[in-house]
Amino acid sequence: MFNYTFHWHQAFRALPDMMWGALVTVEVAVLSMVLGIAFAVLLAVARMSSNRLAHGAATTWIEVARNTPALFQIYMAHFGLGSFGIHLSPWWALMAGITFNNAGYLAETFRGALRAIPPTQTRAARSLGMGPLRAFWSVVMPQMFRISFPPMTNQMVWAILMTSLGLTVGLATDLAGVTQELNVRTFRTFEFFALAAVLYYLIAKAVMLGARLIAWRLFRY
Amino acid sequence: MFDTALTLKDLMFLAKGAGITLSITVVAVLFGTLLGTIFGAFKAQASALAAAPLTFVLDVLRSVPLLIQLILANAFQSIAGFGWSPFMVACVMLSLYTSAYCAEIVRGGIEAVPAVTRRAARSLGMTWAQDMANVTLPMALRVALPGWIGLTLGVMKDTALVLWLGIIELLRSSQILVTRLQEPLFILLITGAIYFLISFPIARLGGRLEARWREND
Amino acid sequence: MKKTYLATVSLAALLAAGTAQADKLDDIIASGTLRCAVVLDFPPMGSRDADNNPVGFDVDYCNDLAAALGVTPEYVETPFPDRIPALVSGRADVGVASTSDTLERAKTIGFSIPYFAFTNVVLTREGAGVDNFEGMSGHVVGSVAGTFEGIKLEENIKAWGAGEFRPYQSQADVFLALSQGQIDATVVTSTVASSIVASGQYPGLKIAGDAPYPIDYVSLIALREEQGLINYLNLFVNQQVRSGRYQELYDKWVGGTAPGLTIDGVYR
Repeated sequence: MFNYTFHWHQAFRALPDMMWGALVTVEVAVLSMVLGIAFAVLLAVARMSSNRLAHGAATTWIEVARNTPALFQIYMAHFGLGSFGIHLSPWWALMAGITFNNAGYLAETFRGALRAIPPTQTRAARSLGMGPLRAFWSVVMPQMFRISFPPMTNQMVWAILMTSLGLTVGLATDLAGVTQELNVRTFRTFEFFALAAVLYYLIAKAVMLGARLIAWRLFRY
Repeated sequence: MFDTALTLKDLMFLAKGAGITLSITVVAVLFGTLLGTIFGAFKAQASALAAAPLTFVLDVLRSVPLLIQLILANAFQSIAGFGWSPFMVACVMLSLYTSAYCAEIVRGGIEAVPAVTRRAARSLGMTWAQDMANVTLPMALRVALPGWIGLTLGVMKDTALVLWLGIIELLRSSQILVTRLQEPLFILLITGAIYFLISFPIARLGGRLEARWREND
Repeated sequence: MKKTYLATVSLAALLAAGTAQADKLDDIIASGTLRCAVVLDFPPMGSRDADNNPVGFDVDYCNDLAAALGVTPEYVETPFPDRIPALVSGRADVGVASTSDTLERAKTIGFSIPYFAFTNVVLTREGAGVDNFEGMSGHVVGSVAGTFEGIKLEENIKAWGAGEFRPYQSQADVFLALSQGQIDATVVTSTVASSIVASGQYPGLKIAGDAPYPIDYVSLIALREEQGLINYLNLFVNQQVRSGRYQELYDKWVGGTAPGLTIDGVYR
């Protein structure tokens, strides 16, 4: 049945290169998450606002991000924007695509969380003399993050998984890109990608563990 | 408005791709839900130790990029000499992938049913099976349905990755047309619109259901 | 005891005989279809017509091969990096896909004798500031991951120490990136470059001189262990040249005198 000789030593020799790739993967995922959270807060507030333009723009962003494939969004960031003469390098195209996606999903998470926070809290903060921004920043937002923390952790794992799509727009430095480069030169598909799968699993576990530590540090009473 | 070389035939070509996208989605969601329900019910009932191997496998399916799972599955079937078609590989892998998420949804649903409710059902003389069928599952379904609709839509979008196996689904058909016609923006926008038209109404329906059921709680 | 032993031995012998007989060549003839891996974003070797059906030199070559075998051809479209995986994973029987016969690849798959030969040129865009091969130094360039010219170009960029190399996963993406200005130049076979420029599909593309790479001989590919099939492919390529069909197909898709497929001073 197994008429195939595994060449594992070849894969293990490439492990250092793949670890460097994993670093790029984590870098893109973390940055896209930070940017995604920032955009998502703005989008959530904009979607709940009565300003028609802000509401429309936020709704469009959120619905497109949630109703089209991530692969499509990344492809658009590279070749779609390219049609307008806007040239994002593969790294930035991947970054833009995942940030767009993260922001869309997180905005809905935040919107749900904001609805769960009683408006009396804002009023109480205002009556203590805080400005509207200050009240949002110091009273509402910390609670919003606390409520949304589990879905945010999931989104972070998805961000890691989505980075693997960078190779479709010519990125060769992240974990999937490095693995594919090794694959197309040696055609030892199973060995290299099995090793990549183990690395992705470890990264995802590390993210979950890290999230648990952060939650324990930040959100205990 | 647009000066395009896109013909009706090309639109039919895209529609055919969308058909492939939908058929893989249906197969994956069907088998994924079936498997996921079994896995989820098992995880909710069995001890953590007994469920550990299953938990680990499902965890791997949720922690490794789907693209890499597809590549690995395809490489494995060739090494093992199964002789599966790419369509088969895509359906099997996506079903397993779906089942991993579905198991969590089902487990969450079952665990959301308060233990006292189930004890009350049993004390009324219901058997375990009667309790499951008449009390626990109907209540769990309500909790799980919005998540399940979200999962279905997620799988529909994730099928785009099977283009890597050489399957000409919606996104791949659009790339073929882009290659021939060189109108990337226009064709990609049409493709995005098709995905949106499939996904958005179902997403809205899910949101509506969720809101309505919340009112009854 | 003895009876079971005998039964087991004869059963094992029967099974062994059953599996040892049929090879890939038999399988193809028995199944009645020849599944060719072809690349369809590489005109004139392979592309799609207005009805999105496969056409090109490689597609015709596959048809000829199927006719010689007395079976119906079936095309499995593969982007360049996917040609060999498609063959190894059993999605295709034979690759008619302009595959350069490198020693690295020969570790994994089997090559026939060359069926076509390319020279490589620099393809760039008007106003990109690339006038010749050396002019690519310091520019963002790209090619298809893992191809003969892609690997060479990446080495060049590294040796020059200036510029950036981007590996794309299909030839179509490389041309698209070049025409959009994402990359400034690529190295591609002269046949394909002239066809792309002549088609007018990608306005502004132009050829900027030769790339100083050795002649790129390309072969049909099959599984490494299928010696019977590879033997058949060798004879088929030979017959295509001998019968004049090679020149005929060259006239149809490219035009001019078809490149020679032999190398001076060495066997095969």
